[in-house]
Amino acid sequence: MTDDHADRPARPASATRRRLLGAAAGAALGSGAVTGFPTLWAQNIRNVTLRQFGTGVSALNPIAEQVKKDLGFTLSMTALDTDAVTQRAVTQPRSYDIADIEYFVCKKVWPAGVLQPLEVKKIALYDKIVPIFTTGKLTPESPIAQGTAPHTVSFVESKGATAFAPHPTEWMTLIPTIYNADTLGIRPDLVGRPIRNWKDLVDPAFKGKASILNIPGIGIMDAAMVMESLGTLRYGDKGNMTRAEIDRTIAFLIEQKRAGQFRAFWKTFDESVNLMASGEVVIQSMWSPAVTAVKTRGIPCVYQPLAEGYRAWGGGLGVAKHLSGLQLDAAYEYINWYLSGWCGAYLNRQGYYSAVLDTAKRHMSENEWGYWMEGKPAAADIMGPDGKLLDKAGSVRDGGSFTDRMGKVACWNSVMNEDRYMVQKWNEFIAA
Amino acid sequence: MPHDVELVNVTKRYGSGAVAVKGISLRIPAATYCCLLGPSGCGKTSTLRMIAGHESVSSGSVLLAGREVTDLPPAKRGTAMMFQSYALFPHLDCLDNVAFSLKMRGVPKAERRARALHFLKLVDLERYASRLPAQLSGGQQQRVALARALITEPRVLLLDEPLSALDPFLRGRMREELKRLQRELGISFVHVTHSQEEAMALSDLVVVMEGGEIVQAASPRDVFERPATAFVARFIGGHNVLPAPAGDGTVAVRADRCRLRPPDAETYGPHLPGTVSAVEYQGPVVRVALATAAGEAVAMLPDDVFHAAPVAPGDAAVLAWSEDDMHALAPSPSDAAAATLTDPLAAA
Amino acid sequence: MAGSGTAARLLPYLQVAPLALILGVFLVVPILTLVVVSFFDYDSVRIIPDFVWTNYAEVLLSAVTWRTYAKTVWFAALVWAITLFIGFWVAYFLAFHVRSRTVQTALFLLCTIPFWTSNIIRMISWVPFLGRNGLLNQALLGLGAIDRPLEFLLFSDFAVVLAFVHLYTLFMVVPIFNTMMRIDRRLVEAAVDAGANAWQVLTNVIIPLSKPGIAIGSIFVVVLVMGDFITVRLMSGGQSASVGLMIYNQISLLQYPAAAANAVVLLAIVLLMVGAILRVVDIRREL
Repeated sequence: MTDDHADRPARPASATRRRLLGAAAGAALGSGAVTGFPTLWAQNIRNVTLRQFGTGVSALNPIAEQVKKDLGFTLSMTALDTDAVTQRAVTQPRSYDIADIEYFVCKKVWPAGVLQPLEVKKIALYDKIVPIFTTGKLTPESPIAQGTAPHTVSFVESKGATAFAPHPTEWMTLIPTIYNADTLGIRPDLVGRPIRNWKDLVDPAFKGKASILNIPGIGIMDAAMVMESLGTLRYGDKGNMTRAEIDRTIAFLIEQKRAGQFRAFWKTFDESVNLMASGEVVIQSMWSPAVTAVKTRGIPCVYQPLAEGYRAWGGGLGVAKHLSGLQLDAAYEYINWYLSGWCGAYLNRQGYYSAVLDTAKRHMSENEWGYWMEGKPAAADIMGPDGKLLDKAGSVRDGGSFTDRMGKVACWNSVMNEDRYMVQKWNEFIAA
Repeated sequence: MPHDVELVNVTKRYGSGAVAVKGISLRIPAATYCCLLGPSGCGKTSTLRMIAGHESVSSGSVLLAGREVTDLPPAKRGTAMMFQSYALFPHLDCLDNVAFSLKMRGVPKAERRARALHFLKLVDLERYASRLPAQLSGGQQQRVALARALITEPRVLLLDEPLSALDPFLRGRMREELKRLQRELGISFVHVTHSQEEAMALSDLVVVMEGGEIVQAASPRDVFERPATAFVARFIGGHNVLPAPAGDGTVAVRADRCRLRPPDAETYGPHLPGTVSAVEYQGPVVRVALATAAGEAVAMLPDDVFHAAPVAPGDAAVLAWSEDDMHALAPSPSDAAAATLTDPLAAA
Repeated sequence: MAGSGTAARLLPYLQVAPLALILGVFLVVPILTLVVVSFFDYDSVRIIPDFVWTNYAEVLLSAVTWRTYAKTVWFAALVWAITLFIGFWVAYFLAFHVRSRTVQTALFLLCTIPFWTSNIIRMISWVPFLGRNGLLNQALLGLGAIDRPLEFLLFSDFAVVLAFVHLYTLFMVVPIFNTMMRIDRRLVEAAVDAGANAWQVLTNVIIPLSKPGIAIGSIFVVVLVMGDFITVRLMSGGQSASVGLMIYNQISLLQYPAAAANAVVLLAIVLLMVGAILRVVDIRREL
């Protein structure tokens, strides 16, 4: 019976959660034991408060609650938007202890000298971190994607260095927390044909029904994916365009805009959800949780994998320069805990990816791991962290397995050398 | 020649049910200076506004120069109105204020300015043509308002308390000027006022109103010498309203015709004993107030008469007058209310 | 008595001190900072104290800036004209045709309805109304008035102007209503007495005397539209530019000096517009 079917998995799921919570506490204790590293279980660590700020994606209160439970100290979280995060990181370095920032933001922020690098030897699970963040290659034969690939800004030569090291060193800038591969979102019920390439965004069939995001650094990269897909232009590095490349890309966007291809440009999560849910737009740049938000309204929406690959982004935890002594020890403790599994499972379950997969796997059910990471059809209904139904039994995650998705990254979110020029040109496009 | 203004059984009833004017009829002959006189709330302003056309008539008819105008808009009646506090257009200079009605009629600019200047000359204000109303004194503003009203060449000029905003000195001057203008222009003025002094000084015809009705319409002399009711007698002042000696109704006796007699003197004619309550020296006359059984009574004594036999407050005295100076009063519709009114002269 | 004389001289200064302090700290200092920063240099993360004209050169010499300013002024002019027309008649109706105070208050409250919700929610609510599958298109399709949805209703200049008008008409209604309530009703009678018909009363008496209110309302609307970024962005679906949006983008990218230079230029232009309005109409009577 369908009723039974819908009802049954809920019980195992919640049972799993309870079991996991117990296991998480144990894992935290065990993380020190695994590496033989002296854990800081001094009583006074309870008085420590670490102030973390970051984007809404990873500033999640359940994480702070779990930190209190597992590690005993207080983590206070502030969620800001990406732009505000960059500003805060550079202009008010004393207002935070832990910066949860994206890698391309790190490229901007690090030279300002407001963060201190982390000692690799103090990171217990360093060797288990997904190699995207260390060598840049998911598998030894993977190509390295364009843009601000995380590994290019992950290391510095020494403690005081403001320039990035081209290869892994003993000093890491950020410890990865959360990352994902972005693509186009579509309304399968309204597009009326299979969508396979980035160039479908500018298909005249979707005239007045397409959208692109109006955040210059990311929007121009989506446009570049489209240009390459059309075969109009081949970029040296989509994440670091030359002026000529910028000019051609913007000229192309203006042409499309004048032809009435775009219904709107969006800037916030909610806008993208509304555009899609209302049917004003049937194909657009989108973020993974926005697709989920449309789906939970009962409206069909697919995060469509495309032949040219994904545009990826990732974030990590950085430590403020002013941190030292017990606070710095607590920060290391927190970072090690972050990689130890509970957190990874929590993030994976939302459709993001975590930095250390092995430990996360231990905190997920077989069904969850299969659905989220291996691209297998769900054996039972998939629930979100809030207990709401995300996907029905039998369905498959858009884009398939972790390696299918993260192995097909064409470009990482980035900040260009010609940033200033690019923004001027982008404004020209918006004003056109 | 038809009457300039004729009101036939005119009533004004407001939405709330209050009746401001109760079926009044009035004829104002051609080229008459007519004052509508009464206390506030007596219906005089409503009457004026109905003649002007700014207030609809609930029932009855308004005729101007023999023509039925009851339902005509103000500008089609041949009247012009001068508003209380003048209602000059604050954004227009004097010349444009005066020329306003010509502009509304589409008279070309040069022509209407020339005409307006002529009317400003009439009120002796041509030097101020380009000033805004706010830059003029009260008296000057009033003359601009007058010029603005007269430029329409009305058959009847309606004035709503035109002098009340002026100081006493200017008020006297303007009074003369209004009268002169009315005479020279040969048109009728209908002037609303609550000042009996103003009405006496200006009018050919005084219309005394009370409670929405006309209680007396006559020449100032008639009104003063033969007030119709106790209300009129009290309102215009200078009268003692006393119980008739015959014991039937009330009579009015002019205060200046009364004399005082010592209490022990033998009196023939009508008289009333009392006690002196106040003595006021007013130059040519001395005003002596007596407390009597019928209330307060006043004798206005020429100074020589007073000084021949002076009295002081507290003295007993007898008020005496001759039969000829006394006349009976008709019962007033609101005698009870009127009785509480104090003598306006004494109040002034 | 020299002491008390000094005290008497100081007293007026003491009396203006609190206001001067507030204006100084919250108006003058920020604007000066803005001007100073507009001459700074910057890179992608830092502002570098300096004295360079590049920010102004980039603002003033770029065709995009001019186009954006032209577009913003065009929005301001159009919104001004429409809010003036609607606002004037609403105020006129309220002031001259609604006799009861209670009804006046009630109708006034109705005018404030657009302000009962947040900016974002209000604007997002336009989507289900004006959208391709929105109520209006559904209704028109149902009536057979159109055979395909009208696309221009949403995410267009039309939508931007509509949202502005919806929002800012109140700012026109209030000052005009206020001025109209102060017009001596006898002036209207005096005009009628002089033979003016309803239209002539309006053009010769009411409109001239409402000018200060019209000027104040115009200043409100023009200033609000010139500085807006959120309405333009949301209602045009990000397809139209405005100066505010341009500044907002620059701030997002940490280009503070460029944003400051742009803000100084915008401030100067808005002050010129306000100055022009004040030259035409004397509003002191209203203040």
